[in-house]
Amino acid sequence: MPTPKALTAMLVAGAVLAAGASTAASLQGAQAAKARMEHMKALGKSSKAVFEQVKGGAPDMAIVKVEAPKIAAASRDLPGWFPAGSGQKAEPKSHALPVIWTDRTGFETKAKALVVAAARLDAVAQAGDAAGVGPAFHDVGAACKGCHETFKAKDKD
Amino acid sequence: MKPDDRGAIVTARVWDIPTRAFHWLLAILIPFSWWAAENDHLGWHRLSGYSILGLLVFRLVWGFIGSPTSRFSGFLRGPGGVAAYLSGRSAPAVGHNPLGGWSVLSMLVVLACQVGLGLFSVDEDSIEAGPLANFVSFDAGRAIAHLHHKVFWVLIALVALHLAAIGFYALRSRNLVRPMVTGSAELPRGAKAPPLAPPWLIVPVATVACAVAWFVAHGLTI
Repeated sequence: MPTPKALTAMLVAGAVLAAGASTAASLQGAQAAKARMEHMKALGKSSKAVFEQVKGGAPDMAIVKVEAPKIAAASRDLPGWFPAGSGQKAEPKSHALPVIWTDRTGFETKAKALVVAAARLDAVAQAGDAAGVGPAFHDVGAACKGCHETFKAKDKD
Repeated sequence: MKPDDRGAIVTARVWDIPTRAFHWLLAILIPFSWWAAENDHLGWHRLSGYSILGLLVFRLVWGFIGSPTSRFSGFLRGPGGVAAYLSGRSAPAVGHNPLGGWSVLSMLVVLACQVGLGLFSVDEDSIEAGPLANFVSFDAGRAIAHLHHKVFWVLIALVALHLAAIGFYALRSRNLVRPMVTGSAELPRGAKAPPLAPPWLIVPVATVACAVAWFVAHGLTI
Protein backbone atom coordinates (compact mmCIF):
# COMPACT_ATOMS: atom_id res chain seq x y z
CA MET A 1 0.00 0.00 0.00
CA PRO A 2 1.55 3.35 -0.93
CA THR A 3 1.56 5.86 1.89
CA PRO A 4 -0.27 9.18 1.40
CA LYS A 5 3.15 10.79 0.98
CA ALA A 6 4.10 8.31 -1.74
CA LEU A 7 0.75 8.90 -3.44
CA THR A 8 1.35 12.64 -3.41
CA ALA A 9 4.81 12.07 -4.83
CA MET A 10 3.35 9.94 -7.62
CA LEU A 11 0.72 12.55 -8.38
CA VAL A 12 3.36 15.24 -8.47
CA ALA A 13 5.58 13.10 -10.66
CA GLY A 14 2.61 12.62 -12.95
CA ALA A 15 1.98 16.33 -12.99
CA VAL A 16 5.61 16.99 -13.88
CA LEU A 17 5.46 14.48 -16.74
CA ALA A 18 2.26 16.09 -17.93
CA ALA A 19 3.94 19.48 -17.71
CA GLY A 20 6.79 18.21 -19.82
CA ALA A 21 4.48 16.58 -22.35
CA SER A 22 2.21 19.53 -22.91
CA THR A 23 3.06 23.04 -21.77
CA ALA A 24 3.59 24.14 -18.20
CA ALA A 25 0.91 26.77 -18.65
CA SER A 26 -1.73 24.07 -18.84
CA LEU A 27 -1.18 23.32 -15.16
CA GLN A 28 -3.04 25.50 -12.73
CA GLY A 29 -3.20 26.40 -9.08
CA ALA A 30 -1.81 23.90 -6.62
CA GLN A 31 -0.86 21.48 -9.37
CA ALA A 32 1.29 24.10 -11.03
CA ALA A 33 2.86 24.96 -7.66
CA LYS A 34 3.70 21.32 -6.94
CA ALA A 35 5.13 20.80 -10.40
CA ARG A 36 7.17 23.98 -9.91
CA MET A 37 8.65 22.64 -6.67
CA GLU A 38 9.77 19.50 -8.49
CA HIS A 39 11.25 21.58 -11.30
CA MET A 40 13.14 23.69 -8.77
CA LYS A 41 14.43 20.57 -7.03
CA ALA A 42 15.71 19.23 -10.33
CA LEU A 43 17.34 22.60 -11.01
CA GLY A 44 18.87 22.51 -7.52
CA LYS A 45 20.25 19.03 -8.17
CA SER A 46 21.95 20.11 -11.38
CA SER A 47 23.32 23.25 -9.72
CA LYS A 48 24.68 21.22 -6.82
CA ALA A 49 26.35 18.82 -9.25
CA VAL A 50 28.12 21.71 -11.01
CA PHE A 51 28.90 23.45 -7.71
CA GLU A 52 30.72 20.35 -6.49
CA GLN A 53 32.84 20.28 -9.64
CA VAL A 54 33.62 23.99 -9.37
CA LYS A 55 34.45 23.80 -5.67
CA GLY A 56 37.50 21.60 -6.08
CA GLY A 57 39.00 23.91 -8.74
CA ALA A 58 39.41 21.00 -11.18
CA PRO A 59 35.94 20.41 -12.64
CA ASP A 60 35.07 17.10 -14.28
CA MET A 61 33.89 18.55 -17.58
CA ALA A 62 31.95 15.40 -18.46
CA ILE A 63 29.58 16.13 -15.57
CA VAL A 64 29.40 19.86 -16.27
CA LYS A 65 28.65 19.22 -19.96
CA VAL A 66 25.62 17.13 -18.95
CA GLU A 67 24.28 19.40 -16.20
CA ALA A 68 24.83 22.85 -17.74
CA PRO A 69 22.33 22.35 -20.60
CA LYS A 70 19.74 21.14 -18.08
CA ILE A 71 20.18 24.38 -16.14
CA ALA A 72 19.99 26.43 -19.32
CA ALA A 73 16.81 24.68 -20.51
CA ALA A 74 15.15 24.96 -17.09
CA SER A 75 15.96 28.67 -16.90
CA ARG A 76 14.20 29.27 -20.22
CA ASP A 77 11.10 27.41 -19.01
CA LEU A 78 11.14 28.98 -15.57
CA PRO A 79 8.69 31.92 -16.04
CA GLY A 80 6.13 29.40 -17.33
CA TRP A 81 6.29 27.57 -13.99
CA PHE A 82 4.60 30.56 -12.39
CA PRO A 83 1.08 30.85 -13.87
CA ALA A 84 -1.22 33.30 -12.10
CA GLY A 85 -3.06 31.65 -9.23
CA SER A 86 -0.26 29.19 -8.36
CA GLY A 87 0.97 31.11 -5.29
CA GLN A 88 0.79 30.40 -1.59
CA LYS A 89 -3.01 30.69 -1.56
CA ALA A 90 -3.27 27.74 -3.93
CA GLU A 91 -0.45 25.74 -2.30
CA PRO A 92 0.52 26.69 1.27
CA LYS A 93 3.85 24.87 0.95
CA SER A 94 4.88 27.19 -1.86
CA HIS A 95 7.39 29.94 -1.12
CA ALA A 96 6.36 31.96 -4.17
CA LEU A 97 5.51 35.48 -3.02
CA PRO A 98 2.53 37.45 -4.42
CA VAL A 99 4.94 40.09 -5.75
CA ILE A 100 5.77 37.66 -8.59
CA TRP A 101 2.37 38.45 -10.07
CA THR A 102 2.02 42.06 -8.96
CA ASP A 103 5.45 42.93 -10.40
CA ARG A 104 5.60 40.50 -13.27
CA THR A 105 8.00 42.72 -15.25
CA GLY A 106 10.44 42.81 -12.35
CA PHE A 107 10.15 39.05 -11.96
CA GLU A 108 10.75 38.36 -15.63
CA THR A 109 13.77 40.69 -15.63
CA LYS A 110 15.32 38.55 -12.89
CA ALA A 111 14.36 35.37 -14.73
CA LYS A 112 16.00 36.75 -17.87
CA ALA A 113 19.23 37.33 -15.93
CA LEU A 114 19.28 33.61 -15.15
CA VAL A 115 18.65 32.70 -18.79
CA VAL A 116 21.65 34.81 -19.84
CA ALA A 117 23.93 33.44 -17.11
CA ALA A 118 22.86 29.83 -17.70
CA ALA A 119 23.34 30.12 -21.47
CA ARG A 120 26.86 31.40 -20.89
CA LEU A 121 27.60 28.54 -18.47
CA ASP A 122 26.38 26.07 -21.06
CA ALA A 123 28.51 27.68 -23.78
CA VAL A 124 31.59 27.59 -21.55
CA ALA A 125 30.86 23.96 -20.63
CA GLN A 126 30.36 22.75 -24.18
CA ALA A 127 33.55 24.56 -25.23
CA GLY A 128 35.36 22.49 -22.59
CA ASP A 129 36.66 25.64 -20.89
CA ALA A 130 37.38 24.25 -17.42
CA ALA A 131 38.78 27.55 -16.14
CA GLY A 132 35.69 29.45 -17.28
CA VAL A 133 33.19 27.19 -15.53
CA GLY A 134 33.79 28.59 -12.04
CA PRO A 135 33.06 32.26 -12.82
CA ALA A 136 30.19 31.33 -15.14
CA PHE A 137 28.59 29.16 -12.48
CA HIS A 138 29.06 31.87 -9.90
CA ASP A 139 26.92 34.17 -12.06
CA VAL A 140 24.22 31.50 -12.31
CA GLY A 141 24.11 31.18 -8.52
CA ALA A 142 24.02 34.96 -8.15
CA ALA A 143 21.05 35.07 -10.54
CA CYS A 144 19.20 32.40 -8.50
CA LYS A 145 19.88 34.34 -5.35
CA GLY A 146 19.04 37.69 -6.92
CA CYS A 147 15.55 36.49 -7.78
CA HIS A 148 14.94 34.53 -4.54
CA GLU A 149 15.79 37.60 -2.47
CA THR A 150 12.79 39.50 -3.78
CA PHE A 151 10.36 36.87 -4.95
CA LYS A 152 10.79 33.89 -2.64
CA ALA A 153 9.60 33.74 0.98
CA LYS A 154 12.26 33.02 3.58
CA ASP A 155 11.85 29.84 5.60
CA LYS A 156 9.70 30.43 8.63
CA ASP A 157 12.04 28.78 11.15
CA MET B 1 30.81 31.86 51.34
CA LYS B 2 31.60 31.74 55.03
CA PRO B 3 35.14 31.77 56.38
CA ASP B 4 36.44 28.32 57.21
CA ASP B 5 37.32 27.13 60.71
CA ARG B 6 40.52 29.15 60.81
CA GLY B 7 38.61 32.25 59.74
CA ALA B 8 40.02 32.38 56.20
CA ILE B 9 38.16 32.06 52.92
CA VAL B 10 39.78 29.34 50.89
CA THR B 11 39.93 30.09 47.22
CA ALA B 12 41.54 27.90 44.63
CA ARG B 13 41.86 27.52 40.88
CA VAL B 14 38.93 25.35 39.77
CA TRP B 15 38.77 26.04 36.01
CA ASP B 16 41.89 25.62 33.94
CA ILE B 17 42.76 28.00 31.10
CA PRO B 18 41.59 25.75 28.22
CA THR B 19 38.16 25.22 29.80
CA ARG B 20 37.71 28.96 30.29
CA ALA B 21 38.97 29.77 26.81
CA PHE B 22 36.63 27.14 25.37
CA HIS B 23 33.69 28.66 27.20
CA TRP B 24 34.31 32.28 26.24
CA LEU B 25 35.21 31.50 22.64
CA LEU B 26 31.86 29.73 22.29
CA ALA B 27 30.14 32.71 23.91
CA ILE B 28 31.60 34.79 21.06
CA LEU B 29 31.42 32.31 18.17
CA ILE B 30 27.82 31.10 18.64
CA PRO B 31 26.28 34.60 18.37
CA PHE B 32 28.77 35.44 15.62
CA SER B 33 27.76 32.35 13.61
CA TRP B 34 24.13 33.33 13.89
CA TRP B 35 24.85 36.92 12.87
CA ALA B 36 26.96 35.84 9.89
CA ALA B 37 24.29 33.43 8.64
CA GLU B 38 21.49 35.98 9.02
CA ASN B 39 23.48 38.56 7.08
CA ASP B 40 24.55 36.30 4.23
CA HIS B 41 28.21 36.12 5.26
CA LEU B 42 28.34 32.38 4.69
CA GLY B 43 32.12 32.40 4.35
CA TRP B 44 32.44 33.78 7.87
CA HIS B 45 29.70 31.43 9.03
CA ARG B 46 31.64 28.41 7.79
CA LEU B 47 34.92 29.60 9.32
CA SER B 48 33.16 30.17 12.63
CA GLY B 49 31.64 26.68 12.41
CA TYR B 50 35.03 25.10 11.72
CA SER B 51 36.42 26.93 14.74
CA ILE B 52 33.58 25.59 16.89
CA LEU B 53 34.25 22.12 15.52
CA GLY B 54 37.88 22.42 16.57
CA LEU B 55 36.84 23.64 20.01
CA LEU B 56 34.42 20.73 20.40
CA VAL B 57 37.08 18.20 19.47
CA PHE B 58 39.43 19.84 21.96
CA ARG B 59 36.77 19.76 24.67
CA LEU B 60 35.91 16.13 23.96
CA VAL B 61 39.51 15.03 24.42
CA TRP B 62 39.97 17.39 27.38
CA GLY B 63 36.90 15.76 28.92
CA PHE B 64 38.88 12.57 29.21
CA ILE B 65 42.45 13.67 29.88
CA GLY B 66 42.10 17.31 31.05
CA SER B 67 41.82 18.72 34.55
CA PRO B 68 39.50 16.75 36.87
CA THR B 69 36.89 19.57 37.00
CA SER B 70 36.71 19.44 33.19
CA ARG B 71 36.52 15.66 32.88
CA PHE B 72 33.19 14.04 32.10
CA SER B 73 33.92 11.46 34.78
CA GLY B 74 34.46 14.36 37.17
CA PHE B 75 31.16 16.15 36.64
CA LEU B 76 28.60 13.65 35.37
CA ARG B 77 26.57 12.06 38.17
CA GLY B 78 23.82 9.45 38.07
CA PRO B 79 20.17 10.17 38.93
CA GLY B 80 20.92 9.53 42.62
CA GLY B 81 23.65 12.14 42.65
CA VAL B 82 21.41 14.71 40.97
CA ALA B 83 18.53 13.97 43.36
CA ALA B 84 20.84 14.30 46.37
CA TYR B 85 22.08 17.65 45.07
CA LEU B 86 18.53 18.92 44.46
CA SER B 87 17.44 17.95 47.96
CA GLY B 88 20.51 19.60 49.44
CA ARG B 89 21.82 16.37 50.92
CA SER B 90 25.08 16.24 49.00
CA ALA B 91 28.28 18.07 49.86
CA PRO B 92 28.73 21.31 47.83
CA ALA B 93 30.45 20.58 44.53
CA VAL B 94 33.81 21.88 43.39
CA GLY B 95 33.38 22.74 39.70
CA HIS B 96 30.13 21.75 38.02
CA ASN B 97 27.37 20.68 40.37
CA PRO B 98 25.52 17.45 39.43
CA LEU B 99 22.72 19.33 37.67
CA GLY B 100 25.07 21.76 35.92
CA GLY B 101 27.14 18.83 34.68
CA TRP B 102 24.20 17.55 32.67
CA SER B 103 23.47 21.06 31.45
CA VAL B 104 27.03 21.24 30.12
CA LEU B 105 26.79 17.84 28.46
CA SER B 106 23.45 18.65 26.80
CA MET B 107 24.82 21.93 25.43
CA LEU B 108 27.89 20.13 24.09
CA VAL B 109 25.81 17.39 22.44
CA VAL B 110 23.35 19.82 20.82
CA LEU B 111 26.20 22.06 19.65
CA ALA B 112 27.96 19.04 18.15
CA CYS B 113 24.72 18.09 16.33
CA GLN B 114 24.39 21.65 15.10
CA VAL B 115 27.93 21.70 13.69
CA GLY B 116 27.40 18.24 12.19
CA LEU B 117 24.24 19.37 10.39
CA GLY B 118 25.97 22.48 9.11
CA LEU B 119 28.66 20.38 7.46
CA PHE B 120 26.08 18.69 5.22
CA SER B 121 23.79 21.68 4.60
CA VAL B 122 22.97 22.91 1.12
CA ASP B 123 21.47 26.32 0.40
CA GLU B 124 18.63 26.82 -2.04
CA ASP B 125 20.80 28.46 -4.68
CA SER B 126 23.49 25.78 -4.53
CA ILE B 127 26.14 28.46 -4.24
CA GLU B 128 26.75 27.82 -0.55
CA ALA B 129 27.19 24.43 1.04
CA GLY B 130 28.85 22.72 3.96
CA PRO B 131 32.18 21.01 3.23
CA LEU B 132 30.62 17.54 3.34
CA ALA B 133 27.50 18.38 1.28
CA ASN B 134 28.86 16.40 -1.65
CA PHE B 135 28.18 13.23 0.37
CA VAL B 136 24.41 13.88 0.38
CA SER B 137 21.77 14.57 -2.29
CA PHE B 138 20.34 18.03 -2.93
CA ASP B 139 17.08 17.06 -1.21
CA ALA B 140 18.86 15.63 1.83
CA GLY B 141 21.13 18.67 2.01
CA ARG B 142 18.10 20.99 1.98
CA ALA B 143 16.35 18.93 4.66
CA ILE B 144 19.53 19.06 6.75
CA ALA B 145 19.72 22.83 6.28
CA HIS B 146 16.16 23.14 7.63
CA LEU B 147 17.11 21.00 10.64
CA HIS B 148 20.20 23.20 11.09
CA HIS B 149 17.80 26.15 11.52
CA LYS B 150 15.61 24.28 13.99
CA VAL B 151 18.39 22.84 16.16
CA PHE B 152 19.75 26.36 16.58
CA TRP B 153 16.67 27.19 18.65
CA VAL B 154 17.16 24.07 20.78
CA LEU B 155 20.67 25.34 21.44
CA ILE B 156 19.35 28.80 22.29
CA ALA B 157 16.84 27.26 24.72
CA LEU B 158 19.66 25.43 26.51
CA VAL B 159 21.78 28.58 26.62
CA ALA B 160 18.80 30.49 28.03
CA LEU B 161 18.46 27.84 30.75
CA HIS B 162 22.20 28.11 31.42
CA LEU B 163 21.91 31.91 31.82
CA ALA B 164 18.81 31.52 33.99
CA ALA B 165 20.74 29.14 36.27
CA ILE B 166 23.57 31.67 36.57
CA GLY B 167 20.96 34.30 37.50
CA PHE B 168 19.40 31.93 40.04
CA TYR B 169 22.75 31.39 41.81
CA ALA B 170 23.54 35.11 41.61
CA LEU B 171 20.34 35.78 43.57
CA ARG B 172 21.64 33.36 46.18
CA SER B 173 24.92 35.30 46.35
CA ARG B 174 26.91 32.81 44.33
CA ASN B 175 28.82 34.41 41.48
CA LEU B 176 29.45 31.76 38.83
CA VAL B 177 30.71 34.20 36.22
CA ARG B 178 33.85 35.42 38.02
CA PRO B 179 35.35 31.93 38.41
CA MET B 180 34.81 31.32 34.71
CA VAL B 181 36.82 34.52 34.06
CA THR B 182 39.58 34.25 36.65
CA GLY B 183 39.54 30.48 37.15
CA SER B 184 39.42 30.88 40.92
CA ALA B 185 36.48 30.15 43.18
CA GLU B 186 35.88 30.00 46.88
CA LEU B 187 35.86 26.38 47.92
CA PRO B 188 33.15 24.78 50.04
CA ARG B 189 34.27 24.24 53.63
CA GLY B 190 36.53 21.25 53.92
CA ALA B 191 36.97 20.83 50.17
CA LYS B 192 40.40 20.31 48.70
CA ALA B 193 41.70 22.34 45.77
CA PRO B 194 41.36 20.21 42.63
CA PRO B 195 44.56 19.34 40.74
CA LEU B 196 44.93 20.88 37.28
CA ALA B 197 46.20 19.31 34.08
CA PRO B 198 49.76 20.32 33.12
CA PRO B 199 49.72 23.25 30.65
CA TRP B 200 51.91 21.42 28.11
CA LEU B 201 49.03 18.99 27.55
CA ILE B 202 47.21 21.81 25.73
CA VAL B 203 49.67 21.62 22.83
CA PRO B 204 49.06 18.06 21.60
CA VAL B 205 45.30 18.23 22.22
CA ALA B 206 44.99 21.56 20.39
CA THR B 207 47.08 20.16 17.53
CA VAL B 208 44.74 17.19 17.16
CA ALA B 209 41.67 19.47 17.34
CA CYS B 210 43.01 21.81 14.65
CA ALA B 211 43.95 18.88 12.42
CA VAL B 212 40.49 17.34 12.68
CA ALA B 213 38.75 20.67 11.98
CA TRP B 214 41.04 21.37 9.01
CA PHE B 215 40.48 17.89 7.57
CA VAL B 216 36.68 18.19 7.86
CA ALA B 217 36.69 21.76 6.51
CA HIS B 218 38.50 20.45 3.41
CA GLY B 219 35.79 17.86 2.78
CA LEU B 220 37.80 14.97 4.31
CA THR B 221 40.61 15.45 1.82
CA ILE B 222 44.20 16.49 2.43
